[in-house]
Amino acid sequence: MGIKIVPRHGKSLKDKLYLPAIAGGMKVTFSHFIKNLKDTSNIETLCYPEENPKDITSRYRGIHRLTKREDDTIRCVACFMCATACPADCIFIEAVQREDGVDEKMPAKFSIDLLECVFCGGCVEACPCDAIRMDTGIFSFVKKKREDFVVDRDTLLSHKPMKGSN
Amino acid sequence: MSATLISIVVFNIVMALIVSLVFVPILVWMERRVAGFIQDRLGPNRCHIGGVRLGGIVQSFADMLKLVFKEDYRPGAIKEKVLFTLSPVIVFVTAYLSFMVIPFADDLVIDGKSYIMQALPIEFGLLWILAFAGLGVYGLMLGGWASNNKYSLLGGIRAAAQVVSYEAVMGLSLISMLIIYGSVHLGDMVRFQGELIWGLIPAWGIIIQPVAAILFIITAFAETNRAPFDIAEGESEIVGGFHTEYSAMRFGLFFVGEYIAMGAASALIVTLFLGGYQIPWLNSSTLKENIEIVFMVIALLMPIMSYFFARWIKKNNVWLEEGDIRNRETKWLINGLIGINVIIIATLAFFIIFGIGDNGTNISVVILQVITFVVKLLIMNFFFIWVRWTLVRFRYDQLQNLAWKVLLPIAIANVFITGIFVVVLGV
Repeated sequence: MGIKIVPRHGKSLKDKLYLPAIAGGMKVTFSHFIKNLKDTSNIETLCYPEENPKDITSRYRGIHRLTKREDDTIRCVACFMCATACPADCIFIEAVQREDGVDEKMPAKFSIDLLECVFCGGCVEACPCDAIRMDTGIFSFVKKKREDFVVDRDTLLSHKPMKGSN
Repeated sequence: MSATLISIVVFNIVMALIVSLVFVPILVWMERRVAGFIQDRLGPNRCHIGGVRLGGIVQSFADMLKLVFKEDYRPGAIKEKVLFTLSPVIVFVTAYLSFMVIPFADDLVIDGKSYIMQALPIEFGLLWILAFAGLGVYGLMLGGWASNNKYSLLGGIRAAAQVVSYEAVMGLSLISMLIIYGSVHLGDMVRFQGELIWGLIPAWGIIIQPVAAILFIITAFAETNRAPFDIAEGESEIVGGFHTEYSAMRFGLFFVGEYIAMGAASALIVTLFLGGYQIPWLNSSTLKENIEIVFMVIALLMPIMSYFFARWIKKNNVWLEEGDIRNRETKWLINGLIGINVIIIATLAFFIIFGIGDNGTNISVVILQVITFVVKLLIMNFFFIWVRWTLVRFRYDQLQNLAWKVLLPIAIANVFITGIFVVVLGV
């Protein structure tokens, strides 16, 4: 191991004057100012409520959605696997006999309390028939009452997958 | 008391009010937007009145309204209630009074009578400014002491020590300027700066005396407690410094006073070193002789500059949401710009064709010089803001070292060298 000699700064007249270094710093800030003043679209800031982030990846866990079969009926068979896996106990299911012959059971009610949900994705992994997914990319939900945050089966069914995911 | 005298006095006082009080919201807005742009952010741009945002300037008024309506709270531990209330007032009033002697334009001659274009028509302007610049710090000291709080006291002590050290340097750098100008009347100083050196370069203070200019600008930063010398309110160490215990409009007065002090310091720098109201290469007499050519140049330049400004507005003043009221502003602004252009060009054409006589010439020269002064003042204010968002705060010992060991010897040497030059050359 050789000895690395670090050059010491601050001894030359130019360093002691301070002003050249200050001028250099001022040049940097001014170039940023002019660049952004000429065209504000150079600024990366998102004007949030009007402009939404475009860099949400397909693996982002947004609000849940219930998937559908090929014949547009609900895929869920009300097996309670997701509700059992849920660490926050925020999934409430009421099962009912399925009359149309596609399957044996289906949920009459399937609601998720978004205020309780911790968005861990446990329900998605627990589901044996790929009936619940979190690929909507919806990250923002604002409601007026606590009760409104409990989303029901039809709302969950109406959520669309995010563009770009499959 | 003729009507002319009264109207000139009223005009001057209104001008002083505009460049001090009305500029404060503009400066606050400038500070925040410039800081945003320097740090690649947007800064406040959402506040609007009926869709008019003016680049976010409405935010300043909203903030001021908020300060006015907040509870005026005073902690029970404060015993010196009078001083506590008085100190923001001192800061505010002294900063405001400094503006009173800044000349906005050359002496106005109407019907053979000359009027000084200052809010206070006195001829010892520099002494007045020195007196009030020194008084301003009493507000910070008294506020810090009366707050009965250790952080505030530390802030007040720091402010006092800082101003004592930098006042000396400021005085010495001014002495070298006094030797050059040979007058304490700010109007005389600006008239001196209207001349040319070797018929080529404007004889501005910063060109004749660059060392004094740099010293004065540095001390002006210290005197107004702006970064990089704002240790009196060093948030990282002593909470808020002297204004820790202040809230609502009491704090607002401190805040406003700080910005007025910044404006006053800028105005003084502009007056002493940057040619004041003088347009470079066009002093008052040249302007008066060639007023028609000047009018024509303005009439030609106005539409071209407005065109580029309008294009800039169109490109940058957008609101992303369709159908929002804020989207209509661009159209209003551009129409307003066209209207102003039409009015000004029509007026200038009228003056060029029919002539305006001696009084008219003098008045239009004054108006041009007032506009020049305001533009220079804004540029200097921008410089203050620009420095604040570039440089970091000094440590306390570094600050005192800089004042006593670096700036003071340079200032004394500068006075001596200037004196020797003036005596030897017999200027």
